[in-house]
Amino acid sequence: MSATAKTPILSHEEEYRQHLMLDPRPRGEMNAMVMESMQTTSWKFWVVTGFLALVVLVSLVGIWGYMIAEGLGLAGITRPSYWGIFIVNTVFWIGISHAGTFISAILRVLKAEFRRPFTRAAELMTTFGLAQAGLSIFMHMGRVWLAYWMFPYPNQRDLWPNFHSPLMWDFLAINTYLLASTMYLYLPLIPDVTMARDRSTGWRKVFYRILALGFRGTEGEWIHLRTAMGIFALAIIPVMFSVHTIVAWDFAVAMRPGWSSTIFGPYFVVGALHSGIAAVAMVLVIIRSTMKHMTYFIRPEHFDAIGKLMLVVSMTWAYFFFNDYMVQWYGGDKFTRILLEFHEKGPLGWIWFLMLIFNVAIPWLTLWNKRVRSTPWAMFIIGLLINIGMWFERYIIIPISLTINRMPFTWGEYKPGAEIPLSIGTLAFFILLYMIASRLVPLVPVWEVQEGQHAHSLRRVGKAVAPTVSELE
Amino acid sequence: MTERSMLLALFDDVDPAADAIEKLRTMGIGDEQMTVISGIPVLEKFLGRPSVWTNVPRLALGGAVVGFLAGMFFAYGTPTMYPLNVGGQGLFAGPPAIVVIFELTMLGLLASTFLGVFLDSYFPSYQPKEYVTEVSDGKIAVLFSCPVEMESGISKAMTALGAEAVKPAEAQQL
Repeated sequence: MSATAKTPILSHEEEYRQHLMLDPRPRGEMNAMVMESMQTTSWKFWVVTGFLALVVLVSLVGIWGYMIAEGLGLAGITRPSYWGIFIVNTVFWIGISHAGTFISAILRVLKAEFRRPFTRAAELMTTFGLAQAGLSIFMHMGRVWLAYWMFPYPNQRDLWPNFHSPLMWDFLAINTYLLASTMYLYLPLIPDVTMARDRSTGWRKVFYRILALGFRGTEGEWIHLRTAMGIFALAIIPVMFSVHTIVAWDFAVAMRPGWSSTIFGPYFVVGALHSGIAAVAMVLVIIRSTMKHMTYFIRPEHFDAIGKLMLVVSMTWAYFFFNDYMVQWYGGDKFTRILLEFHEKGPLGWIWFLMLIFNVAIPWLTLWNKRVRSTPWAMFIIGLLINIGMWFERYIIIPISLTINRMPFTWGEYKPGAEIPLSIGTLAFFILLYMIASRLVPLVPVWEVQEGQHAHSLRRVGKAVAPTVSELE
Repeated sequence: MTERSMLLALFDDVDPAADAIEKLRTMGIGDEQMTVISGIPVLEKFLGRPSVWTNVPRLALGGAVVGFLAGMFFAYGTPTMYPLNVGGQGLFAGPPAIVVIFELTMLGLLASTFLGVFLDSYFPSYQPKEYVTEVSDGKIAVLFSCPVEMESGISKAMTALGAEAVKPAEAQQL
């Protein structure tokens, strides 16, 4: 009798112990695990790093240098598609960058505990994603040596940049977001580089010592840091929303078929979250499978939670997509109707259908299932497909939509040139930066994990145990 | 003047550290003579410590005001200083001004919040300070100064309350 009574209690407890917050380990042990994960590097890592560095050198530095020397004619942008893959990539990478803020700031404000082990992995994506967005927009600029014309100071003719232009709003918003997200990445990193400083020797010790700024963990240092993190978590959310809304306005304020839409702002923000969260899932799968001890920190419960987010965001994206489509379709404007038909039945109609399959059908058909959500490789594939789908979405909105305008004599198909190797180069650069960072920066914020584990416990309620969370923050 | 020495007591958990702080107070060591160092943030109320003042929110607000004024300057000041009349359109436009002012206000707010941490914590500061690396392993260190003649009594009291170690605090290169 007593054995049967104990069985469910034990199984419940064991089930709860599957959760990172309820499976604590001594801080010293977790520190050692994170340090080892950073310092253990196999030959495969260096082979991949070397290959990516080569791709960056040839495909990004080389081709871009050649394009700067020869001119934008090497790219496929020409009438009527003056905006091509460079802008597609800019929007795409800004979208990826939204994941860091969403995971870190919004989930921090909402006190979603599952965020704790992977906030930094997501925040790094924000900074590195924005770097690729910046590069892409410079590529589009062509004459990059004149980029300083965007800076807010008068030029030789005493003319200031025109702040009525959406491009200037972009400049301000992207730079604000880049600076803010880099600062937001750094603040919670300070206690972790302090931990790394205490456990390192040689050049690493010097590196972490500089980054730790002399932090010890006094009451004053913690209160200043925590207050700042609280302000950042709240204030960076509207900045994040503003960035992609302003990017959307680059298109929506133009009186073009397919672009002039009042719903483009939130539609773009949701699209950014869709690709960003999917990218976080992919990165976590790679980190978990390639870095030592990461199976302890990143667990099926985390993929399950991210999977639920992906499903909700996919549904929201579908809602906004349909909303935008419905109004344009119902409006009956001649050129908008031709454009919508061109999206579906034109030579690149397959992209339009794949966009819907990857962004809507696949997430909806798979992510309702907990087993799928908890399986890392499945989440990687779904995340990859969503990102391809979201890249297609931007490709449809930009060069494909530019094909059709109100002057039929200008219609013509966009054929990318140097954009293709340069896109590969930016992707390789993003992965390369991430791989280097994974060896230099503790990817798991150990102090945040310990803080969470400190607040969680199992409490006996009647005949069973139940998880409880104390308000320690 | 009484000669004082700096001691560091190391605890495994919040409870014994809070008890030790209470004990130190009863032995005549004031809150201003103690500092708690920890690897995770521990709220003052859990340790029975007075609240620590932080200027970060005020600095953030100051930065937001500066950012707002910068935004106003870009949105309204530059077209006034260098008017460029185009097709009879007005020099100023409200909605774009909101965008510019919003972005610069948020930039000012966030940048000054970041700098506020540096100012309030005196970062960067690389000179030697009292510290033990066990803190980043999750231990809680109570750092306090006491008259030399009380050293032995306090050490015994701390050990009795669960201190893993009580030792003279040495400034070390961080």
